[in-house]
Amino acid sequence: MSHKPATNFGFLDRCDPRVAHLARQAEHYVHTDPDSCLFKLRLMIELMAKRLTTMSLPNLLHSDLSTMLGALERDGTLPRRQADGMHAIRRDGNAAVHGNSTPSPTAMRRLRDAHTLSGWYARNVVRGAKVDPGTFSPPVPPRGTSDEESVVNEKIEALEDRIEDRRRQTRESLLLFREDEDPDGVSRRYRIELKALEMVAIAAGEPLIDAEFVALVMAMDLEALYEHPAFGMDTREARRIAEQQLAQVKHELETSEQNYLQERAELVQEMQMLKRRQLRGEV
Amino acid sequence: MSSTVSEKELATLWFLAARAMAVADGGTSITRQGAGGLYAQAILGLSEEVCAEAKSDDSLATLTLLDCLSMLAHVPAEVGEKIMTGVMMIAYSDRSMHPLEVRWASMLASALSMSVDDFQRCCVNARVISGMLGTHASVEQTSESSDSPDSGPEPSA
Repeated sequence: MSHKPATNFGFLDRCDPRVAHLARQAEHYVHTDPDSCLFKLRLMIELMAKRLTTMSLPNLLHSDLSTMLGALERDGTLPRRQADGMHAIRRDGNAAVHGNSTPSPTAMRRLRDAHTLSGWYARNVVRGAKVDPGTFSPPVPPRGTSDEESVVNEKIEALEDRIEDRRRQTRESLLLFREDEDPDGVSRRYRIELKALEMVAIAAGEPLIDAEFVALVMAMDLEALYEHPAFGMDTREARRIAEQQLAQVKHELETSEQNYLQERAELVQEMQMLKRRQLRGEV
Repeated sequence: MSSTVSEKELATLWFLAARAMAVADGGTSITRQGAGGLYAQAILGLSEEVCAEAKSDDSLATLTLLDCLSMLAHVPAEVGEKIMTGVMMIAYSDRSMHPLEVRWASMLASALSMSVDDFQRCCVNARVISGMLGTHASVEQTSESSDSPDSGPEPSA
């Protein structure tokens, strides 16, 4: 006779018992209290990030989670896909902490992300260890789902698909290379061209930029640049304009994330009203 | 010299010039990629859709750096300065300059017929912007400054 494992995260016990404990708690709450599920998942990835940071960037150990994840990604410790999963949990966990209601299907998606991440994490913190996370088995709800609840759940799933798609597109647009491109191949091609152009430029006696000036600016303190008699005013103006433009991009991203939260809240409300009607025997 | 350049043309030019600078030191760091992508939208004002379109267009794969240089010779000076500033910002993002990066910057400056003063202004502005964009290498960090759960309302979910 086959039976489902009690937890999807048993494989984590050997490599990180605290993370494993949080994962089990998140699993326990996924249907009954999705907000608590996300609190636990957020804490879980914070512990993961801290351990990875301790291993590769110990000077950033006391930074906030977003900073740690960004640094781990730039450092090459955290691959893009894993970073996306951790940021998704971080964002939804933060939203739950700040009182935004979480639908159960959203919590289930993040739990699934956490399972995928845990396999990668275990392989990276215990090098050489045999890790078998197995296939994620969604925890079963304590009671059946009515047809009306299924309809609302389908709407939530459709919204989550849209959110994930939108975030992926935004992230893609903010990089120089597409995710499906081979950056090493493109890099090789450009470097061959650059070397060929360099030989032509040398043969033609093409002038070079003032590399000493470039190096000097690179080494200068920003405050010294702002106060520079020749460049100070232009530089301060450039900073002011760039700050405004960056703020505009941030505002647009924040607005779209707020809109997602609003849509989620409306669907949670719809589900809660449905459950109240069920309790009153109206459905 | 043309007086205007379409958003699509600007995006194509930007991605050609920026990618070449991003890989000139032999790497493809996420910091450089993130700073370059963010510059396109925040400073050049390119939309997300145009950036995606330019990168998925086959022409980007077939255009050479020589094509890039000849196209740059026809852009308005103001646009050329923005491209130069962004490319130098990418070069600055790891606080070092490889010889091929120096050569690519020199070729861009020549193609844009840039004076020494203009180039120096681009260079200084690039240094300022690299400090701002270099720390926002991912969309998550672009949309949020801090995410301590007890630091107040979450700015962007």
